[in-house]
Amino acid sequence: MDSYSIKTLDELKEFLFRAMQLEHATIPPYLTALYSIKPGVNQDATQVLRVIVVEEMLHLTIAANILNAIGGKLDLVRPDFVASYPAALPDGETDFKVGIQAFGREALAAFLKIERPARRPEHLIGKGLIYRKTPPGITALGSHPRHEDFHFYSIGEFYSTIEEGIKYLEAEAHGAGTTIFTGDRSRQITSEYYYSGGGELFPVTDLKSALEAIELIIEQGEGDGGGIYDDDDHELAHYYRFEELVKGRYYQKGDQPGHPTGPHLQVDWEGAYPIKENLKVADIFEGSELREAAIAFNTRYGEFLQLLTRAYNGQPSLLLEAVPMMFEFRNMILELIRNPLPKHPGKNGSPTYEIPGGIKQPAVTRQAEVNA
Amino acid sequence: MLFPLESAIRADAKTVAESDDYDIVIVGSGVSGAIIAKQAAEAGKRVLVLEAGTGANTTLAGYDNLLTTFYSAASKDNQSPFPLNANAAIPRSPQLRKLQAGETDSSNYIVQSGPYVSDTTYTRIFGGTTMHWEAKTPRLLRSDFKTRTLFGQGLDWPLSFEEVEEDYRLAEREIGVSANVEDQQYLGQTFPDDYVFPMRGLPLSYLDQQVNKGIEGTSVELYDKTYPLKVRPYPQGRNGIPNPAYDGGKGYRPIGAVDTHQVEEGGRCQGNTNCVPLCPVQARYHSGKTLAKAFAVSGERGEGLVELLPQAVASKVNIDPDNGKVRSLEVKIYKDPASPAHETITVKGKVFVLAAGAIETARLMLASGLRSTSGLVGRNLMDHAYLLNWALMPEICGTMRGTSSTGGIVDLRDGPFRERQAAFAIDIHNDGWGWATGAPTSDLLELVDDRNLYGADLRRGMIDRVSRQLLLAFMIEVMPVESNRITVDPQYTDALGNMRPILSFTVPEYTMKGAAYGRQFARTIFTRLGAQDHTRYDPSDFGYVAYEGQGYAIRGGNHLAGTHIMGTTRTNSVVDKNQRSWDHENLYLVGGGSMPTIGTANVTLTLAAMCFRSGRNILKSLH
Repeated sequence: MDSYSIKTLDELKEFLFRAMQLEHATIPPYLTALYSIKPGVNQDATQVLRVIVVEEMLHLTIAANILNAIGGKLDLVRPDFVASYPAALPDGETDFKVGIQAFGREALAAFLKIERPARRPEHLIGKGLIYRKTPPGITALGSHPRHEDFHFYSIGEFYSTIEEGIKYLEAEAHGAGTTIFTGDRSRQITSEYYYSGGGELFPVTDLKSALEAIELIIEQGEGDGGGIYDDDDHELAHYYRFEELVKGRYYQKGDQPGHPTGPHLQVDWEGAYPIKENLKVADIFEGSELREAAIAFNTRYGEFLQLLTRAYNGQPSLLLEAVPMMFEFRNMILELIRNPLPKHPGKNGSPTYEIPGGIKQPAVTRQAEVNA
Repeated sequence: MLFPLESAIRADAKTVAESDDYDIVIVGSGVSGAIIAKQAAEAGKRVLVLEAGTGANTTLAGYDNLLTTFYSAASKDNQSPFPLNANAAIPRSPQLRKLQAGETDSSNYIVQSGPYVSDTTYTRIFGGTTMHWEAKTPRLLRSDFKTRTLFGQGLDWPLSFEEVEEDYRLAEREIGVSANVEDQQYLGQTFPDDYVFPMRGLPLSYLDQQVNKGIEGTSVELYDKTYPLKVRPYPQGRNGIPNPAYDGGKGYRPIGAVDTHQVEEGGRCQGNTNCVPLCPVQARYHSGKTLAKAFAVSGERGEGLVELLPQAVASKVNIDPDNGKVRSLEVKIYKDPASPAHETITVKGKVFVLAAGAIETARLMLASGLRSTSGLVGRNLMDHAYLLNWALMPEICGTMRGTSSTGGIVDLRDGPFRERQAAFAIDIHNDGWGWATGAPTSDLLELVDDRNLYGADLRRGMIDRVSRQLLLAFMIEVMPVESNRITVDPQYTDALGNMRPILSFTVPEYTMKGAAYGRQFARTIFTRLGAQDHTRYDPSDFGYVAYEGQGYAIRGGNHLAGTHIMGTTRTNSVVDKNQRSWDHENLYLVGGGSMPTIGTANVTLTLAAMCFRSGRNILKSLH
């Protein structure tokens, strides 16, 4: 066991918090790209992005289930939960950062990098974590809690470490006649409250279900063992869905990676609003309506994360209220994306995802409680 | 995956014409055909489904195209998502006009010969009318199966409720009904102790709750009997919260859709309010979900067992004169919806199932010259008569939130009064006055044109106006009457040269008596709610019916039934209790057309249940 492996339950909890942070980190870029698509074009791209966003939300919820299963406390309003974009993923290299931008070739190139089935190149095999000094102000997703400047080579590697940690700690607990799965079962989000959301959600209660949950996350993202599909050949992995858009062709069963042979599809690379990349509220002209709209969105998004925090902390039925909130997001994001950014000719606004701290309960929840 | 599944199962006309090993040939891909196809495939049978529509909506992209058509349509009637297709034309309500006595209007697909003009519709597209149904799924009441015995009205079924009950449960599973047993236990409806619906009941809308607040604890009297009032939730064929207690604790998993991708198998109901005509997230059940499962069944060699042949309009049923059995179907295959050019093929099979809806199935039988021993094909046409009543609530009630209809007043669905007048169920419409007046477009025009409102005043005016709208839709029982019927005439044909249906209908007095009482009932309710009655029936309305000195605009309910009625003998009916034709032993006429009565329940759940019975019977006949 190397010095980077997980040795304590607290450490495992912190890893799982970072897993949630990582899963969430892809949602703002994908969501923004999705809503940047102009109406009436890019039907295929819209579907691909929508499906993937939904599956990322599933992964977030699965990670929450695992963390709850070991008695962890979930906090999506912790100030470092939402990445500051552009952010660095645990890809072990410095060739790209995840940013907020419009749908287009560049965005898609970045998405492919996010989801790439990462295997270490020969010269890095057996070398431990990758050192990468992150510049100040950049969120580094998936770093090691005890070694902030060290990174896993890939998301898969990050999760493998979690997997090993769970096995190790459970074996240790087992030896002492106990278990690490002591979490309150009522905190598990099950398909009753979450279905048709990209896959089956099951309660995590023991080693077996925890490992299955991690497998599901990895396979949906990267595919199973180098194949283009997940384990039961039902779903194409995210990487290959994005690749379909680049190649203008659908994959079908039996295809080899990189060579889709299904029907052709159309992508209109100009069919998105020209939003300004990685916009910050501070860049928006003070006193403009757009600035107000950007702040309003951030506030509401913060309330959404507060709602999720409460849902994951024993009130799963609150997830139902998240649905209308996500409709609000669509409207609020469209408002930002379809309007020109003052003093930036040719550029439109964008959500900034700078989530203020200290968000309290969202209004909708209070009202729902009164009704109940 | 986002790869269209249909490429694997779509048949081509040439292969179909040359095949002689189909066990079952089904006309129509609506809920009836879908259930039988799935059941048969699971038993290893080869099935061909003929669909008059293009089948473009078997894919997610095709489904989304229907939504786009709907969103961009100026008129939001319940056929507006569906592209024009003269080769498989469908009735559309905005084109109707009032008839003068003795007049016939043949300008639309259904020839209206009056005296009453019905705006009833059905959809000739992959998925049939489940592509635009509202998805309310009440069961018929026990008494509805024997109205002749109990009330001296209509006909008794050759089946009792008890004989249908198990199939109701199968239908509720197939459709994935959301309901709570405790809400459905009224008027003698009972359920086994451990029964739960597949999904939990959807909540009542705020509007429902406000109406309930105004009427709960009050009652009405009818022929000396008191009926307490309250708003009860409807069971619904749309995705809610799966009940973990379903199936002895195994839970229910909502599955199936036009596309195989998990995300597109039907989302949870989001309350989009445009359930009719088309749910944007496929939360509402449609038969594509059942067919997707049927298409996925493979035979011994891994081949798909169910094939779909779209753009295939069944035109004639050929009978072997020696034994009365169906020998084949004549089917017209068109290449393009925009052109009547077509080829005609002959389709062979062991068993034939006409599942094209009550009007098309009867039309095809009549056009084939098959009138049956009883002479009842096309007769006894039924459809619920709808009477709309609309008012403005005293306070904002959040109209336009929730599905089209979540609750209603249903305690007058049964009672001894049915000896004298029709029963009714009242739907509370969450989508405002739309059905009655064309709201909210009509409200906008009025506020702008008549009251010169603009800006903030206009916005406030619209909110105040629309979110107080209450529409009570009275769904009134119609009993079978032989003179209410579908016929054909060679002088009225469609683009492919097939004879079109001619509809003759008179709203029966029994029903009008219920309507007249319903109007009074609505006034009483409005008074109790402090709501301002805005109901007006225009004598120039196409559905205007005068009764005892008053006029009523009666709307069709699209709950078509009766045209190949089910009974105990070949002389009193067209089909037996398995929906098998008395005259042609390998022919099944299935769907609402078999129902002897429709009570006050939307017909889909019941006809779905009947198809489970027929499916079993067909499989038995094939052994």
